[in-house]
Amino acid sequence: MSRLELYSPEGLRVDGRRWNELRRFDCKINTHPAFDGSSYVEQGNSKVICMVRGPMEPPMRSQVNQTQAVIEMNLNIASFSTLQRRKRSKNDKRMIEMKTTLERTFEQSVMSHLYPRTLIEVNVQVLAQDGAVLATMTNAITLALIDAGVAMYDYVSAVSVGIHDQTPLLDLNVLEENDMSCLTIGVVGKSEKLAMLLLEDKMPLDKLENALAVAIAGGHRIRDLMDDEVRSHGNQRVSKLTS
Amino acid sequence: MSSLLSITRPTKRDSRSNDYDSDVDMKDAMSEYQDEGSKDNTSVVTPGELVTEDPTWMKGHGTYSLENQTYSSVAGNVLRLNRLLSVIPIRGRYEAETGDYIIGRITEVGQKRWKVDIGCKQDAILMLGSVNLPGGILRRKSESDELQMRNFLKEGDLLNAEVQSVYSNGQAALHTRSLRYGKLRNGVLLKVPSSLIIRQKNHSWNLPGNVSVIIGVNGFIWLSKTSSTSTAPSVNASTNSAQSALASKGGYKPGEGSVSITRLEEESSWEIYSDKNDEISASIRGTISRYHNVIKAMSACELGITEKRICMGYDASMMYADTSMLIEREAQEIICQDIIDSEKMRGD
Repeated sequence: MSRLELYSPEGLRVDGRRWNELRRFDCKINTHPAFDGSSYVEQGNSKVICMVRGPMEPPMRSQVNQTQAVIEMNLNIASFSTLQRRKRSKNDKRMIEMKTTLERTFEQSVMSHLYPRTLIEVNVQVLAQDGAVLATMTNAITLALIDAGVAMYDYVSAVSVGIHDQTPLLDLNVLEENDMSCLTIGVVGKSEKLAMLLLEDKMPLDKLENALAVAIAGGHRIRDLMDDEVRSHGNQRVSKLTS
Repeated sequence: MSSLLSITRPTKRDSRSNDYDSDVDMKDAMSEYQDEGSKDNTSVVTPGELVTEDPTWMKGHGTYSLENQTYSSVAGNVLRLNRLLSVIPIRGRYEAETGDYIIGRITEVGQKRWKVDIGCKQDAILMLGSVNLPGGILRRKSESDELQMRNFLKEGDLLNAEVQSVYSNGQAALHTRSLRYGKLRNGVLLKVPSSLIIRQKNHSWNLPGNVSVIIGVNGFIWLSKTSSTSTAPSVNASTNSAQSALASKGGYKPGEGSVSITRLEEESSWEIYSDKNDEISASIRGTISRYHNVIKAMSACELGITEKRICMGYDASMMYADTSMLIEREAQEIICQDIIDSEKMRGD
């Protein structure tokens, strides 16, 4: 066991949060105007850039799907993103798993049938990792796709949750993530539907419902924060174009 | 339990908190507007937002319906036209419409057709049958034309064209059956967001300084040296130059030597598919690059691009002797402010 006290008897976590508090969430959209859509998301100290190109003509014939758009995810984790410098190859098992998870998530939430025979290229660059990287990536991709004007059913807002003894802890940082079983979910908009659920280790079934309830509420809060950014950016643009 | 949820506030939110307040007002306005059915341009909707519960609206682009309720699927403005309800995205790729004057780049030469990149979701199609070939309009397209398609237009060539039709899957078909359209030479291409271009009656202009501009509706802009034929529309001169070009090229050319009746036939000689640029003097090159940077400044400041504004921006840019200064952010903003000011002075 680690010497760190992850959850003090007073109800405080290692970084001073309560069990149901999210970390600082900051997001920007349209950070790279050269791309069709782009975003930058910070969740605590996890930092992710996402750039979307498309829907566009696929460069390869093999990528053409006659009925719907093909979504291509390119994940890249910078070698300086962790405390210990470490090179992660593209064919790393974990990377491939994250890639497929994200592809499946967004194939469901993007209205890809509207863009037959096109390719949507999503490039994700992780700059710093401090836990919940998959959640941060999901939020960044959602924002970048919205910025690109790709039709989606709803926001997908992701957040992680862990179980410490009896209490669910929302939005884990890297210290907590290493020491407890953790679950990442992607919530669809304001509903209680999940577009994504990833659990890499064991979690007691009787605690699961409790944990999911906390995570869904956290997801809704993140959706609101992202929505604020999209709206303020949109209003800014509209006022510029009409003036 | 979920109501207990408290969250650390993001730090820099001062500037946005005002926005947020105004946003709430807008939402109120929105709900009023839904009741009245009047027009409101200022409201922005985001994906998954309920636009209306009224099932009588027809669902257009940017919306989807679930259980008779219409939701938005993109971030943009609601547009209500008669009973059609659609959401126009704030950003997005160009969508081709029949009759648009566009500029594109050939990406592929295929069976009887070229694929043209026009900044759309899919590449547009230019059929061999919808271009002017050397030898006039009445000439039939033969198999030999099919074989030498690459001699007319090859990968990487730029051309201006008109959208002839848009297929149901969103793909556009182009045509260049007019003297205005065809291969582009003697200039430079510039790409800006298509949302900045306003559809107009005329999209090609001669600017002061012997420079011509073609503003494609798809956001591709072509700046070139004004050709001698367009400034002095003397039929004889163009015929002579065309014929001398033919003579110098040698070899068999379809339509060569035939007596031309209309100007179209003369113009649609091999010269229009030539790859050779004219001699462009250093001063014109300088002027072109100045116009280029002025338009770039306008797109950086998200100012709608029109011929008048380009001219005004050009005049404003004269205070910078060095055109390379114009790519700096401050200079760009000063120029755009100048354009807006001079528009106000004129009362436009």
